[in-house]
Amino acid sequence: MNIFFVLVKKEIKELLTLQVILSIAAMLLIFQVIGKSVGSQNKSTAAHNGVVTLDLDRSAVSRRLAAALAEAGYEIRPSRAANIEAAMASPEHAAENSFILIPEGLERTINSGKKSRVEFYSRFKKNASGLGPVLAASRTRKAAAVVSGELSYYVLERRVPGVAPAFLRNPAPALEFAVVDGHAEEVPLAQVLAFIQSQTYFFPVAVFFIVILSAQMIMTSVAGEKENKTLETLLSSPIDRRLLVMSKLAASAVIAAALSAAYMLGMRSFMSGITAETTLGAAAGVSAAGPALAKLGLLISPQGYFLVGLSVLFCILCALSIAFILGVLSEDLKSIQAMMTPLMMALMLSYLLPIFIDLSSANLGIKFLLYAIPFTHAFMAPQNMMMGNTAQVLWGIAYQAAVFTVCVVYAARLFSGEALLTMRLKFGRKR
Amino acid sequence: MNAVEIRGLVKKYADFEAVSGLTFDVREGEIFALVGPNGVGKSTTLKTIATILSPSSGSVAVFGLDTAREAHGVREIISYLPEEAGAYKNLTGREYLDFMALVFLRDKQKAAAAVAFGSELSGLKDRLEDKVKTYSKGMTRKLLLARAVMVKPKLAILDEPTSGLDIVNGYEIRKTIKQLAAGGMTFLISSHNMSEIEFLSGRIGVINKGKLLACDTPAALKTRFTTDDLEEVFIKLTQ
Repeated sequence: MNIFFVLVKKEIKELLTLQVILSIAAMLLIFQVIGKSVGSQNKSTAAHNGVVTLDLDRSAVSRRLAAALAEAGYEIRPSRAANIEAAMASPEHAAENSFILIPEGLERTINSGKKSRVEFYSRFKKNASGLGPVLAASRTRKAAAVVSGELSYYVLERRVPGVAPAFLRNPAPALEFAVVDGHAEEVPLAQVLAFIQSQTYFFPVAVFFIVILSAQMIMTSVAGEKENKTLETLLSSPIDRRLLVMSKLAASAVIAAALSAAYMLGMRSFMSGITAETTLGAAAGVSAAGPALAKLGLLISPQGYFLVGLSVLFCILCALSIAFILGVLSEDLKSIQAMMTPLMMALMLSYLLPIFIDLSSANLGIKFLLYAIPFTHAFMAPQNMMMGNTAQVLWGIAYQAAVFTVCVVYAARLFSGEALLTMRLKFGRKR
Repeated sequence: MNAVEIRGLVKKYADFEAVSGLTFDVREGEIFALVGPNGVGKSTTLKTIATILSPSSGSVAVFGLDTAREAHGVREIISYLPEEAGAYKNLTGREYLDFMALVFLRDKQKAAAAVAFGSELSGLKDRLEDKVKTYSKGMTRKLLLARAVMVKPKLAILDEPTSGLDIVNGYEIRKTIKQLAAGGMTFLISSHNMSEIEFLSGRIGVINKGKLLACDTPAALKTRFTTDDLEEVFIKLTQ
């Protein structure tokens, strides 16, 4: 019989209550429902690709523009109104938000070598909310680009016959190169950015939640035992007090990991519902750029992921051991929130600052502050692995391991001594 | 051999001295009661004997083992029930007894036997399968007392064992303590209930302001203060 597992089992039973399980299940359900409903709403908004065209020119050019828009995937909804105000006021187009006005004399003006203008209107309804108006405005802007391009082609065909208009419009297309560690590779920069974001978006959020959850768990466990005086019974038992500390750390880590996995599952389902199309597009782009990213060394190897995982593990262990000490110092369950503040501050700093500050060029004070916080190393591990800074990740892990060891030794000393009880006695009445 | 030997025990917290040179013995197999007003160092003394606190000066020995230097050895032979202690609310009564038996005995067979004994002692029967959070105060206290004695410690330290209990539950607990003491278990208890003390204890130690004022049998104390009422003895000693 292993007494350590007996202790861990008890901790898990105490921490994983029916309320916790139900609240997690409810969270998963809510994420799923919101993600799906928002996703389907956005999908239908995105699928709606209608553009109302008010063609006052009724020329070959205006018909050509309509054809170009149709070819680009737009559903052309012709308006027979006298002006744009009437077109927008028409009940027939009440649901539409994108309008194009092709002015009378467009073809004539362009043919004479003068500038004309096509007007694009994007309607923002007062009672509209969500992503609908944004998507409509984006649709209008893209329609403007299609119209502008088609007009350029028309003019070039007329003015420079015999030369391909596409060549004239863009005789030297841009080639984008990403340079990593002196090695250049041709790859669309947008795809590199999408890849880096895909690797660094979910990860820190997951780590952040794991750390918060596990810290709260262990503080509740320790402060709860103090408050209920179950701790005094355990302390008078022949169990090695280091085992008590380690079992609490292990149980909190296990539950926090499970809860975080559930949370991330829900979040993923929520986000994929909302950004299904965008995500798929980005993923496809990243996938296409895969070979170039691999040549640049940006793809994390299995060994790299192992090191990232190790860094996250030590990050959680550090948070647990610090939270354990804070839990020992907490007088009761009510004081946990206040005691969490220093840990939260450290987490926020290590999570947010590297997003806004380039640590490689930051001043020494900020660097020292951030690298002294053991959580920073885990937040930065994926990026460091991507950029080939393996040594930095290894040093980070070593530092985290050192902080963890110091904290556990200190926590075990606190547990072995009477500090956790004398503090209570100090404020209590009975002696 | 004495079950407990306390010599010149002093316990200080920062600028406060909770126990000031306490000296007394608890004999093997007796029920010894430590009585005194609130906040005079009773719980501190019991916690020190239970190895949870360490003496600022003086010494405490349990069956010859020093509580500061041989704490682990002491923990092997004692069981401590704190005042107003709780149990793990999300465990059932039986799971709580199982867990505690394994923690104290670290042997599955011995633990199973202890749990069987504890279950019987608790008198909770089918309610042992319910979670502790559904228990009344009396049921919880009975469970805790069963936990404290089921491992058959050589010394059971009980801080206010019947505090807050109704007459029936208090009576049952006192009866259990008496039966176990008859079987050879030594008890060191703290209580404010003088009739309980008189019913249970072989000897009484009265303390006030961290100092021992008297230590004798209830009968001897009553004779000394020429009264039939133990409460009167207590009042005369502490005022």
